[in-house]
Amino acid sequence: MATPSSDVLRGTLDLLVLKTLTLEPMHGWGIAQRIEQFSRGVLDVNQGSLYPALQRLELKGWITSEWRSTEHNRRAKYYRLTPQGRRAVGTETENWRRYVSAVDWILETVR
Amino acid sequence: MNVSKRLALAWRALFHREETERDLDDEIRLHLELETERLMRDGVPPEEARRRARVVFGGIEAVKEAHRDGRGVRWLQDAMADAWFALRTYRRNPILTATAIITLMLGIGANTAIFSAVNAVILRPLPFPNPDRLVMISEDNPEKEWRRQVAAPANYLDWKERVTAFQDVAAYTPGGGSTLDAGGHPMRVRVRAVTGNYFSVLQVYPKLGRVFTNAETWSTAPPTMVISDQLWRDAFGGDSGVIGRTVSMDGSRVQIVGVMPARFSFAADSVDVWQPMGWDPQNRSQVFFRRAHWLRVIARLKPGLTPEAADAELQTVVRRLQSEYPETNRVMGADLVPLHEFLIGNVRPALLLLQAAVTLLLLIACANVANLLLVQAAGREREASLRLTLGADRWRLVRQALTESLVLATLGGAAGLLLGWWGTRALAALQPAQMLPVTSVSMDWRVMAGLLVLTTATGLLFGLAPAMWNAHRVPAEVLKEGGRGGTGRKLGRWGDGLVVGEVAVALMLTVGAGLLLQSFWKLSRVNPGIDTRGVLVAGIRLSSAYDSSARQLAFFDAVRERVRALPGVEDAALAVVPPFGGVAFTSDFHIAGRPANEYGSEVGRDFVSPEYFRTLHIPLRAGRFFTAPDRDGALPVTIINDALARKFFRGEDPIGQRLTFDRILDSNSVWRTIVGVVGDVRQQGLAIEPLIEAYEPAAQNPNVYMTLLARSQGDAIAIAPAIRRVVSDLDPTLALAQVGPLERLQARSVASQRFIMYLLLVFAVTGFVLAVVGVYGVMAQLGRRRTQEMGIRMALGARTSQVQWLVVRHGLRLVTVGLVLGLVGASGATRAMRDLLYDVTPGDPVTFLTVPVLIALTALAASWLPAAKVSRADPAGALRAE
Repeated sequence: MATPSSDVLRGTLDLLVLKTLTLEPMHGWGIAQRIEQFSRGVLDVNQGSLYPALQRLELKGWITSEWRSTEHNRRAKYYRLTPQGRRAVGTETENWRRYVSAVDWILETVR
Repeated sequence: MNVSKRLALAWRALFHREETERDLDDEIRLHLELETERLMRDGVPPEEARRRARVVFGGIEAVKEAHRDGRGVRWLQDAMADAWFALRTYRRNPILTATAIITLMLGIGANTAIFSAVNAVILRPLPFPNPDRLVMISEDNPEKEWRRQVAAPANYLDWKERVTAFQDVAAYTPGGGSTLDAGGHPMRVRVRAVTGNYFSVLQVYPKLGRVFTNAETWSTAPPTMVISDQLWRDAFGGDSGVIGRTVSMDGSRVQIVGVMPARFSFAADSVDVWQPMGWDPQNRSQVFFRRAHWLRVIARLKPGLTPEAADAELQTVVRRLQSEYPETNRVMGADLVPLHEFLIGNVRPALLLLQAAVTLLLLIACANVANLLLVQAAGREREASLRLTLGADRWRLVRQALTESLVLATLGGAAGLLLGWWGTRALAALQPAQMLPVTSVSMDWRVMAGLLVLTTATGLLFGLAPAMWNAHRVPAEVLKEGGRGGTGRKLGRWGDGLVVGEVAVALMLTVGAGLLLQSFWKLSRVNPGIDTRGVLVAGIRLSSAYDSSARQLAFFDAVRERVRALPGVEDAALAVVPPFGGVAFTSDFHIAGRPANEYGSEVGRDFVSPEYFRTLHIPLRAGRFFTAPDRDGALPVTIINDALARKFFRGEDPIGQRLTFDRILDSNSVWRTIVGVVGDVRQQGLAIEPLIEAYEPAAQNPNVYMTLLARSQGDAIAIAPAIRRVVSDLDPTLALAQVGPLERLQARSVASQRFIMYLLLVFAVTGFVLAVVGVYGVMAQLGRRRTQEMGIRMALGARTSQVQWLVVRHGLRLVTVGLVLGLVGASGATRAMRDLLYDVTPGDPVTFLTVPVLIALTALAASWLPAAKVSRADPAGALRAE
């Protein structure tokens, strides 16, 4: 597997995807673009790893997908948050914050 | 985790695999296109843009693989791919595949058929509500060697009233026959007398009308009866207006009050008519009601009580009865067993033996298939090694091997299902009448589940060797040794193990069959004490019109004389119970002049016409046969058999001595003078030693039921129509019962033993042949592997016989180990067969010597054949091999 396999990165990517989809349903490339913009290039996402992440979220029932036409009339698979997924964004964000602050605290204290 | 989502995806991934892949391809392509366009909008040249888009995306194939893994059905897809691959491989080797499938079919089919019987008899619950609360109560009398015997009615009534653990207790007579006349022609029906609560204890209900009331246990007028569904259809055309109709039973008017449903059967008893006991209430206080034993007793326990608790209470009551009625009950015990146990007790050992035999057969089949697969795996050695070297997962190879064997097992299982289905039907059709105490032997869900488990277990069992072999393979060594050497030796060890196992198991199977074969051979040479050839048997029950002894005697005399006068009939006689028909009844007896407390018991009694002994060729040892003047009013006489004479008149002349069939002597005792001694007859069946017996003239003991025995000069059955005519000419309201050759009665008395022996023989022969084929297969493989070595030896001057000996010696060693293991196993296992053997001990030296020699010789021949082939090979060619 060439995708980042550490759980931290994987969890981060999942959260970013979820957060992105709270705006509107999007296709894979669109999601990748948004994450690039949000992270201002800080997070160097391997774009391909997005697809196993989408599959994972879909299996969890947090997002669903359907084939639609883009504005340029191209067939694309659009991903959309489910109500369950919308709830998950909240808890996952909370988890992430707690995690980050824990790491932060350690980095601050163990100097 | 979203289960339905997951299943939907898995389904899609499995069965719309191409669509799933295409979607993923489309998605990735669109992504790359959009990314390329974005870069081009930023001014990157098209070629460069396409390249950069790919770089940013990362490894496309890796993403796809990750996606495929994520579908969660990877293992299943692999398994399916392996299965397809296995099917293709098997199609390329039709002979190997057919051999394996046929072998498995035999093993699994035999198991399915026998398990169907085991399931129907042992596992399936009885067809009554709460069957585990039904128990059977019988009487035991250690002094008379009674075990689970019929009970006396007075004792039954006391159990019913005094044991509080019983919710209710019913009784029935084992069965009898009557002539039913419903206005057409008379027909014989099987009748069972029951207490009024018989059906309510079993908790079964009539489909029409009513069953009996408790009051009907005691005398009622008018007499009533309940009929079976079968009789309702056969005799009354399924007419629902039959309730309330009055028909003639043996000349008496009886009203039909109910019809039982078709599925009602008590242990496959095939009763046509149930009638209430209709006892006279005065009987209760009569001594005979506690002295005569003729009832089977079923009790239903109160809810929540165990049979053990009920038995404890019953035993207390039994002890009290022993002290209350010392004259009849001094040593009378009662035995309580669950009904199911009572019904299947006799047949269970045989069924378990057969189940064990087919299991052994399946083991042999597994060993053979394992060897076939090992040989096949060896042929694919290089392929497997190459895959391992190229980084294939070892576990993946093991899984593939197991999948392949499971595919083969499934094919074999399917074939086995067909054979088993046929076998089950054959078993149910061919079993001797009422050997299995169930109405149907069929394949239900339990059998199917068993088949599934068996097939899977079989696949894993014979797949184990090739799979393990895959797991332990060291690719470097294989490649280094060029596919021979080390792994060849390992393969050889598996093969050796298979030969040892097969020989051991085949020995056990054959020894078991040998013991049964020998005991059946002994049984068929037993002298029954009579000459059955050409003798026809027919039962005649007189109707109530024959209401005096004189009428009864006159009718039977007339029948006998007319039958004797028929052309082709040599002789004719009458008896109450024919040979092999069991004992009519037994009683105690006293010999005149002996101390009053010295009495004999359990003497079998039968009432016969003067020609009886002559007709059946029963030899006269002393004195005379009965004659016509031995009638009512003349001196009461009796003829005893050899066994009685030996046991009670040792060193004395019994002729002229007197005996009476009473234990307590009084002025009413009838003293009979012994006028003759005759040879012993196996009255209860070929396998049962003759008991002490006394015959009395039928003319001094008239009976409404007699059996006519006619000896014809040719085929017994040929005179049946003439005999029917004689009887219907004399009285058209009578129907003959149980018409058939005496030889058939003789055969029927050992039919179960013969049936079980045939089955075991079939299994043993199949197992034996499979084992020989298996040994040959392994030895042939060994021979092939050693071809080069043989070539070298022969090139260096070894003689053909020396080279052959090398292979044969190896086979001999394996066979010897197998034989020793098999003998140990057989000597343990055959001990469980003791009850099934006649006049043969479980450790019978003849069988334990013959069978190993037979197997050793056959196995050696099977290992010599490949050896001979190897040694005939041209040494130069052999050296060039591989």
